[in-house]
Amino acid sequence: MIGVELRKLVRRPRTWVVIGLLNALPTLVAVLLAVTDLAPRPGTGPAFLSAVLSNGVLFPAAALAIVLPLFLPVSVAIVAGDAVAGEAQAGTLRYLIARPAGRTRLLVAKLVAVLVFVALAVVVVTVTAYFVGTALFGTGSLDGGAVGAVSGVPLSPRQAVWRTVLAMAYVAFSMLGVAAVALFLSTVTDSPLAAAMGALAVLVASSLLLTLEAAGALQPYLPTRYWLAFVDLFRQPILWRDLVRGIGLQAVYVAVLLAATWANFTTKDITS
Amino acid sequence: MIRTRGLVKRYGGVTAVAGIDLDVESGDSYGFLGPNGSGKTTTVRMLLGLVLPTAGTVEVLGAPIPKRARQVLHRVGALVESPAAYGHLGARANLSLLDAAGPGGSRRTRRARIDEALEQVGLAEVGRRPVRAYSLGMRQRLGLAAALIRRPELLILDEPTNGLDPRGIQEIRALLLALNAAGTTLFLSSHLLAEVEQLCRRVGVVDRGRLVLQDTLAALRAPTGAVVLRTPDPEWAVGLLDGELAERSGDRLVVRTDDPAALNARLVGQGIRITELAAQRRTLEEVVLDATTTSADRPEAS
Amino acid sequence: MVATGVAVLVALPYAVGALPARDSAVSAGALLDAVRSSADVPHSGYAESVGGLALPLTEDFTALTDLLGARTRLRVWWRGDTDWRVDTVRATGESGLYRDADGLWSWDFERRSAVRTTEPTVRLPRAADVEPAALARRLLSEARPRDAERLPARRVAGRDAPGIRVRPAAGGSTIDRVDAWIDPGSGLGLRVEVHGTGGTRPVLESAYLSLDLGTPPPASTRFVPADPATVRGEINTDLAAAINVFSPARPPATLAGLPARGEGVGSVGSVGSYGTGFTLLIALPLPGRLSRQLRGQLADSPGATRAAAGVRLAVGPLSLLLTDPVDRRSWLLTGTVTAATLDRAAAELAR
Repeated sequence: MIGVELRKLVRRPRTWVVIGLLNALPTLVAVLLAVTDLAPRPGTGPAFLSAVLSNGVLFPAAALAIVLPLFLPVSVAIVAGDAVAGEAQAGTLRYLIARPAGRTRLLVAKLVAVLVFVALAVVVVTVTAYFVGTALFGTGSLDGGAVGAVSGVPLSPRQAVWRTVLAMAYVAFSMLGVAAVALFLSTVTDSPLAAAMGALAVLVASSLLLTLEAAGALQPYLPTRYWLAFVDLFRQPILWRDLVRGIGLQAVYVAVLLAATWANFTTKDITS
Repeated sequence: MIRTRGLVKRYGGVTAVAGIDLDVESGDSYGFLGPNGSGKTTTVRMLLGLVLPTAGTVEVLGAPIPKRARQVLHRVGALVESPAAYGHLGARANLSLLDAAGPGGSRRTRRARIDEALEQVGLAEVGRRPVRAYSLGMRQRLGLAAALIRRPELLILDEPTNGLDPRGIQEIRALLLALNAAGTTLFLSSHLLAEVEQLCRRVGVVDRGRLVLQDTLAALRAPTGAVVLRTPDPEWAVGLLDGELAERSGDRLVVRTDDPAALNARLVGQGIRITELAAQRRTLEEVVLDATTTSADRPEAS
Repeated sequence: MVATGVAVLVALPYAVGALPARDSAVSAGALLDAVRSSADVPHSGYAESVGGLALPLTEDFTALTDLLGARTRLRVWWRGDTDWRVDTVRATGESGLYRDADGLWSWDFERRSAVRTTEPTVRLPRAADVEPAALARRLLSEARPRDAERLPARRVAGRDAPGIRVRPAAGGSTIDRVDAWIDPGSGLGLRVEVHGTGGTRPVLESAYLSLDLGTPPPASTRFVPADPATVRGEINTDLAAAINVFSPARPPATLAGLPARGEGVGSVGSVGSYGTGFTLLIALPLPGRLSRQLRGQLADSPGATRAAAGVRLAVGPLSLLLTDPVDRRSWLLTGTVTAATLDRAAAELAR
């Protein structure tokens, strides 16, 4: 069943269009930076971008920071929102259930496919950004290819690679909350668009509340609260505090929403 | 093969199915009839574990549904309402994905089974064209192929000839009759009476969520004890048949009699010409119209 | 079931936070002593400071505006009074202060700048000053035990911290009180709240969220510039330090009845610093160009009033007065003193 869902994922042209678009923005940013040589003013623009001009090795991290606030969650919401609602809308859901695929199995397979998509998207963005970054900005002038971290002390290339890998893992994990929201809505509605939009509405609300001092009491529970904590991986030493909280928060969201998704989907009348 | 007892489905305050007891025997070809909105589709969905009953039990191939759906439903081929497929994939890819999505479809024999099913429904030469580009009839054929891949013991089909041209209908009807003759049980849900009349031996009629009739087609269409005759001299005949005449329309007379031969001899003996004389049988349409009340399409004041 | 689980998870942090703190019988005086001698207590941790002052200052003062008007997240490694590192962590970068025996490194990630300076005698407040322990030392070191009272203990950063409240001894201060919760063993301030007169929320609060009392490794406070090309050497860390060195002005020994603080005033520098405890008055001579800029900004900010000697503005408990130029020089008077004290100081400087 999982194999079936993965085949559907990779054979779907949309998957690759989304991943392509996901890469387009960081690449465009890189080209513009390289051509104009205009780094954003300190404190503005996405993380790492001002540092990229002197060393392309940090561009994967900058690319993650570029796609993290909107593009990545949008694409995850689209794919996860489509998971069940898309089948319902196309009418194929009834044939899968009558096949019988087993509702829990189907849900697990859909979930795995979404996870694979998230991982794939993050890996492709990072790898593309690495090649684009090093090609356009070089690997920096430091001895032995060391990379200047956020804290100003150098990271060895080995450390830099490790932290980029950790950042990829963290960003991918951060997307699971979005995926869980979209998957849940996907079992509630028969419209994949509504599911994706619903998940995005949750994110927009969360991002908005994060900017509001008055919502301080709510903020530790907002799904997007710790997203940018992946920047902490590039500090020296790594600041684990928010990363750990981010993982815990996402885990709770995922657990609760998946439980709700499962409860809803296994008792749902398939009338589409 | 199919057995339901006291099957009830309510959506909120609306009762879609109000206690249906179905019995479909092995080897049957069963026509499930009813006007739109009578609960036909909901019942079919409950047979396949798509809709969960509010009350009552469903047994398919001897196993309770939805509890043990996984053990039996792979031996059932189904076409529910309209066919559906992934538009960006071709016929073979679609069938392959569906077959791999559940138990009972061996990977080793998959290619051969898919080829055979496509052959059966007349899509063997379809190639790699994406389903998106298919005509309605081709999609219908593909849906049937999907129901046939695992050579099911039971076919549950909803409007199987929908969207087909007359030749297509002819082909599919022949295919279904052949499958039934070879031992496949057919459960055909339809509102096309002609189709059911040509394909089915038993029928069940639902109306407003209840099974109002369940019998063999032969029994439903048994002689009614009256005779239908046509004569160029209807006035004369009417005068003669006084008490026995049930109904008259133009030159067509319906006469109650126990003995058609005696009636014929009597009329002919009086010099009345008879052009046609037959025992009266009700058409399926009449049976269904008698049994059902009104179409749910048409709102009524209640 | 799901709803119950969520409720439990949401309530858990609050439940943990509400756990009662164990109080100890330590006296206010003993706490003050402990705080005074805590400068060399090694520790490391994560602290957050929230300022409630919206300073109408921009350009040269943005760092100060952020420090007193927004949330600052700090990472601290402290090996001793002249061997520490305080990082200000931001979502998209960070800036770090690395202190060693000879001076100070200031690192700013977004500007890619690493600046080496000596520790100035006079300077503007910086991130390391709102580190809770340093803040507690600064605010409480001059307090006398009779100005202090004990507050019930609170749990801060997982420790039971007895509290202390200090009110200003002398009049003329706009600070109502300073509440601090102290780790009794080490004397480190774990949580400090500065309350102005009037207003319910503290104008500045700073607290550890996690704290480790072990000695951090030497490498943790040592700055090694990743990219030597970005390093600059500068003598002065900020504007105040530069003025202190370059301005020919000399402030008087006492101002508005407040004594000068011991920080080298009058001898070498031109910036005057007066008052005791957390009653603070600073007199900063500004050259013509700077004072014109600042006067424009102050005049445009809502709440600015015209005083006899210049433009006056109060932001929470912080008052500012910029005198009108005399001989192309103005004085910027600022501190936690009342408007009347500022006016008096301005009058004295104009003589």
